[in-house]
Amino acid sequence: MTENDALITVEDLSVSFRTPKGIVEAVRNINLTLGRERLGIVGESGSGKSQTGRALLRLTSGNGSISAKRMEFDGIDLLRASKKTMCDIRGNRISMIMQDPKFSLNPVMTVGAQIAEAYRIHATVSASQARAKAMEMLEAVRIREPEKVYKLYPHQVSGGMGQRIMIAMMLIPNPQVLIADEPTSALDVTVQMQVLALLDDMVRQRGMGLILISHDLNLVSSFCDQVLVMYGGQIMERLAAKDLKKAQHPYTHGLLNCLPQIGGGHEELPILKRDPAWLDLQESRP
Amino acid sequence: MADIQNITDGGLRTWLLSDSPANAFQARAQRAYVGWLTFKTNPIAMIGLIIIALLLIVAALAPVLTAGEGIEQDLANRLLPPSGEHWFGTDELGRDIYDRIIWGARVTLYIVFLVSIIVMPIGLLIGTVAGYMGGWVDTVLMRITDIFLAFPRLILALAFVSALGPGLENAIIAIAVTTWSPYARLARAETLTVRKSEYILAAQIQGASTWRIVISHVVPMCMSSIIIRLTLDMAGIILTAAGLGFLGLGAQPPLPEWGAMISTGRDFLLDQWWISTIPGFAILIVSLGFNLLGDGLRDVLDPRAASE
Amino acid sequence: MIEVRDLNIRFGQGATAIHAVRDATFSVAQGESYGIVGESGSGKSTILRGLAGLVDDWTGEMSVDGRSLSNRPSKADRKQLQMVFQDPYGSLHPRRTVNDTLSEPLVIHGFDNIEERVINALGEVGLGREFRFRFPHQLSGGQRQRIAIARALILEPQVVLLDEPTSALDVSVQAEILNLLVRLRAAHGLTYLMVSHDLAVVGHLCKLIAVMNRGAIIEEMTDEQMRTGDMEHAYTRQLWVASKGYDLDALGKFIDFE
Repeated sequence: MTENDALITVEDLSVSFRTPKGIVEAVRNINLTLGRERLGIVGESGSGKSQTGRALLRLTSGNGSISAKRMEFDGIDLLRASKKTMCDIRGNRISMIMQDPKFSLNPVMTVGAQIAEAYRIHATVSASQARAKAMEMLEAVRIREPEKVYKLYPHQVSGGMGQRIMIAMMLIPNPQVLIADEPTSALDVTVQMQVLALLDDMVRQRGMGLILISHDLNLVSSFCDQVLVMYGGQIMERLAAKDLKKAQHPYTHGLLNCLPQIGGGHEELPILKRDPAWLDLQESRP
Repeated sequence: MADIQNITDGGLRTWLLSDSPANAFQARAQRAYVGWLTFKTNPIAMIGLIIIALLLIVAALAPVLTAGEGIEQDLANRLLPPSGEHWFGTDELGRDIYDRIIWGARVTLYIVFLVSIIVMPIGLLIGTVAGYMGGWVDTVLMRITDIFLAFPRLILALAFVSALGPGLENAIIAIAVTTWSPYARLARAETLTVRKSEYILAAQIQGASTWRIVISHVVPMCMSSIIIRLTLDMAGIILTAAGLGFLGLGAQPPLPEWGAMISTGRDFLLDQWWISTIPGFAILIVSLGFNLLGDGLRDVLDPRAASE
Repeated sequence: MIEVRDLNIRFGQGATAIHAVRDATFSVAQGESYGIVGESGSGKSTILRGLAGLVDDWTGEMSVDGRSLSNRPSKADRKQLQMVFQDPYGSLHPRRTVNDTLSEPLVIHGFDNIEERVINALGEVGLGREFRFRFPHQLSGGQRQRIAIARALILEPQVVLLDEPTSALDVSVQAEILNLLVRLRAAHGLTYLMVSHDLAVVGHLCKLIAVMNRGAIIEEMTDEQMRTGDMEHAYTRQLWVASKGYDLDALGKFIDFE
């Protein structure tokens, strides 16, 4: 992929937080490039994967600070962009969906009204046009009986449907990049697959770039094109999903090996032995 | 062995911050210390704490800080303005107001203490039992709570006074009886949230009796809200006692209760303002102190904040 | 060791009543590990709670070690059956130290040598004495779950119910806890009943697995079936396929089992 194909280019991104106990470096000097592909970021808790996603949209919480040599989206410098530029980009050109739709959806508005509202944020349209668009989106995410679902409240819809609604909302403005932070972790496994199929479709149809952040190595390697493995705020390895079995880094190895496999027998699982050397600041990573 | 080493090595601070407490006492001391560190960062709360600490010190040192007990009358020197000899002036019976304020601190603390030890256990017990057991127990207890909530404080105080005679203790009982209801409701609300927690289920599975679960598991989770609410209510309680004193239903002369002092001073408000105003200030400052302290405690004790 | 026959559990009354478990029947031999998988709302956790005596309204028969379970388990009944919960952050009382949590069951049942037993229990789950007086917020997720396991074992039960014990843990920690559970099962001759939505985890620990959908057990799978995918019911097969990872072609054939 040449530079021109990349939607997002990040060089030496670091995110740190000021806490009463000192400075916590959540993300340390990572590089990544995203083209029109599905990029997965995998890591355990505390690896910095969620913070990376948020940093791209400058959504890091108050006491955190972002620094990078380069953080570009389509020629725009995300690091130095004004608040107004970021507001224009967020939700419009780079969208984000998160884990639990119950926490991301407004509990006192019907889901249809929320989708319509999302539309009217980025486009000046009348109420009826917004409503029509909301219906259209509900159909696009394969919700049966969209008129009925339009009038439901978030607590009345199942997890899978809630996530589809989130996707509908996020896709209205036709963004170029979608960042999904553990979008399927709270869902049943069959529903997970259906939601991912939906994302797959959207990405293919619209030529979007997708960043999928997850702790589920299996899921990411079967769904994404490229995989970044994170640990301790750094990227341990970047490889093509299909090459996962040929992983080089001991952390990736360890992670793969300690997963129980279906039909894999009952032997003791190999424990991941953490090498403190992995936390040392690496030189420029691939 | 290990913790003695800790104490001599880094001193108390190391002992209080060590990762692995060696016994239950150290664990709880650590928890209190960490709470204190959080509390310290809030300057407003520290002001509240200082005020209340001063109240306690003043009350404790009353004999040292004053010449008399504030009840000696000196009619020749009545209604004197604040001066070098009488820092806060004298009242209509020639009693030194400064002395009365200082000794009145003891009365204020007495009120605060008695009301707390009556209201807290009753409110906690009724609320937690009602919330945990549910069903008809809940209904009965909550209706009793509602009944007590409906009593107007002053009318009840009048009733007590006519039945038992006027006096500070009776006023305090009247206040306590009309104050515990909201605490029961608060405890019940907390209990309802806590009741379905997995640690409660685990205790049930282990065969813990209802009593044990309520006392050892549920009550500790309600304590924070109750304490915070009580501290914030303190101001109101002091004012109510003062109000009752004002009406002559509470503290009886010559007890230097601040509310009673305001009451007797009201006839002289225009010319000898200090007789009513200075006790009024004292009530204001102490109420403020309790309010600020309560606010600060909320930051420290809130279980949601503490569940890191 | 565990016999369940025609278990029915209902919640609520009238129009909003939920029939959470329908005619569940299964048995678990002594020393075995039995798994129950299902998606959310399938009723799997409810069965566990029913066995643990946490459900008031149930019909059918449940017995452990030949003794029938009653609606109100006695204190003695409690000693034979204990449970490990899913959320390590919720299953320990936030205001009590590890020592409090572990010694309480011993005090309730009048055991002696409490201090010694607590220290032994910690050792068995791989934690040293230095953990004894910590509060839950001073422990990591894996450590909390170990304490929860120690708590479950401290009364020396015969049966341990496991409600998604590793779902909330990181992958590397999950492996350690699963290994620990296997080791403890061998060391104490325990019988496990494990519930999970994760087929791989259940398959690793258990040789016989029941599949639930909407309150009913629709199939019982063996090891061999897990390996080959040769299942009777289409729902089970679908679950198996979905658990293996994202496969666009397979997804096309998915049916809705609403």
